[in-house]
Amino acid sequence: MDDPLPAAPHTIREFIAGYEEGQTLRGFRCPGCRHLTATWGLACPRCGRIGLEEAALGSEGTVVAFTVLSVPGDEFVNDAPYAYVVVELDGGARVTGWIPAVRSAAELALGDRVRFAPSYRPGVQFAKIPDLPER
Amino acid sequence: MRETWVVGAASNRFGKMAETAREAATRVSLAAIQRAGLEPRDIGHTFVANCFGLAEHQAHVGPLINNGLGIPDVPSVTLESACSSSSAALHEAFVHVAGGFAEAALVVGAERLSHLDTLSATSYFAIAADYAFETKNGATFPGLYATLASAYAKEYSATPEMFGAIAVKNHANAARNPHAHFQKEISLATYLASPTIATPFRLYDCCPFSDGAAAVVVAAKERIRSPVGEPLVIRASARAGAVTDMQDRPDLLGLPSTRLAAEKAFRQARLERSAIDFLEVHDCFTIAEALAIEDLGFVPKGLGARQAADGVTARDGKLPVNPSGGLKAKGHPVSATGASQVVEVFEQFNGLAHGREVPRAETALTHNVGATGGSCSVHIFSRR
Repeated sequence: MDDPLPAAPHTIREFIAGYEEGQTLRGFRCPGCRHLTATWGLACPRCGRIGLEEAALGSEGTVVAFTVLSVPGDEFVNDAPYAYVVVELDGGARVTGWIPAVRSAAELALGDRVRFAPSYRPGVQFAKIPDLPER
Repeated sequence: MRETWVVGAASNRFGKMAETAREAATRVSLAAIQRAGLEPRDIGHTFVANCFGLAEHQAHVGPLINNGLGIPDVPSVTLESACSSSSAALHEAFVHVAGGFAEAALVVGAERLSHLDTLSATSYFAIAADYAFETKNGATFPGLYATLASAYAKEYSATPEMFGAIAVKNHANAARNPHAHFQKEISLATYLASPTIATPFRLYDCCPFSDGAAAVVVAAKERIRSPVGEPLVIRASARAGAVTDMQDRPDLLGLPSTRLAAEKAFRQARLERSAIDFLEVHDCFTIAEALAIEDLGFVPKGLGARQAADGVTARDGKLPVNPSGGLKAKGHPVSATGASQVVEVFEQFNGLAHGREVPRAETALTHNVGATGGSCSVHIFSRR
């Protein structure tokens, strides 16, 4: 079936299917300003250029902002407390995600190293690198 | 573009409503129309905000409100801009009246969520975030602002005592506001002892889930016959958007849509910041008041959090902020919030803000944010 409308290199469904299958995080690169983003779109949110390229965003990075939630979102009722994080991946993209079983803000710090660690649970799941066995 | 005025405004008491949003919206609308000295048939267009009407199994509430006001033939439309829905509706009303498409327009915002449990209400609030890229990762509305607070506190060494002073100040103001959800002062000790919601937020960093309704009547000069008092001239009605997802923001230390809307508003009003006598800003969380006064251009970056502790933002301070008690303590019935900020300005300017007056106020600014900054409205009003 021909779909004549403009399309992105991947859909939101493919992004989610990708991390559920344990692959690296997929995203988009602006061929103009080189901005990297995971957020679905047809044009660059920074410079407005239409037409983004497929990009592999990588899987390791640094926590740049976070909160530890005691009152959870409705798909996370049995997960609280957990950390919601903004991670700057080593390739330069920022992605949001979550880290299970973080009980207090003392267990995480800005600047901590984390790795994409998908599981059967929803969302972009990260783990602190010292908590993971060496690959 | 012609001069456009707020000729009437009214609010119910925020908190828990036994009635539906539809009933509350209709009642505050008639109150605002009567405060303006007008009849419902003077209204040319109704702009409604009722973001979470689906929680009451009700869409398309505008015709029901107009019907209840006896004006079923008047056109209506519901606007959705998350927590900035009714200031977005006010902007549309302004555009209609200033552009000559209506002589008078009704703006009404109403919300009722108290019949839901906390988890369902939290989920409704989270709908305004990016579902695929934020909510799916565990974000809640407090969680998103708490994430901003974590970045801010680290960058500018802001302390819990500074955020606590914002909460204490707004509760003290709300204690003198008969429309407020919480009409009770709190101490810094109470703030510090309250339970953690999402670090660094304690319970008292967060606005409550409130029901409520507020209405504003906007009109051209020819329709001014307010029996209550002085109408307010709308000096600026400006809106802006910005990247919503935190993962795409250049920095996490402010809300770019506030900066943009403020620049537009001050250009439109041809006013300096120094002309503003008080602010009603969008303090859904304590951090949001700190960010607002910085991004609006009243306080240098990084100094917003300490202004309440230093007494600057008190009602008798140099820069009074949220004399109504703000979202924090007056309450935040999502779609009623923007309109209720205008109710506060109307009551301040007309001697109706008994016990919480800002001395010698002539010009005021209202600031209303949609979710975490994807939308922002800034309005400036002066006495005649």
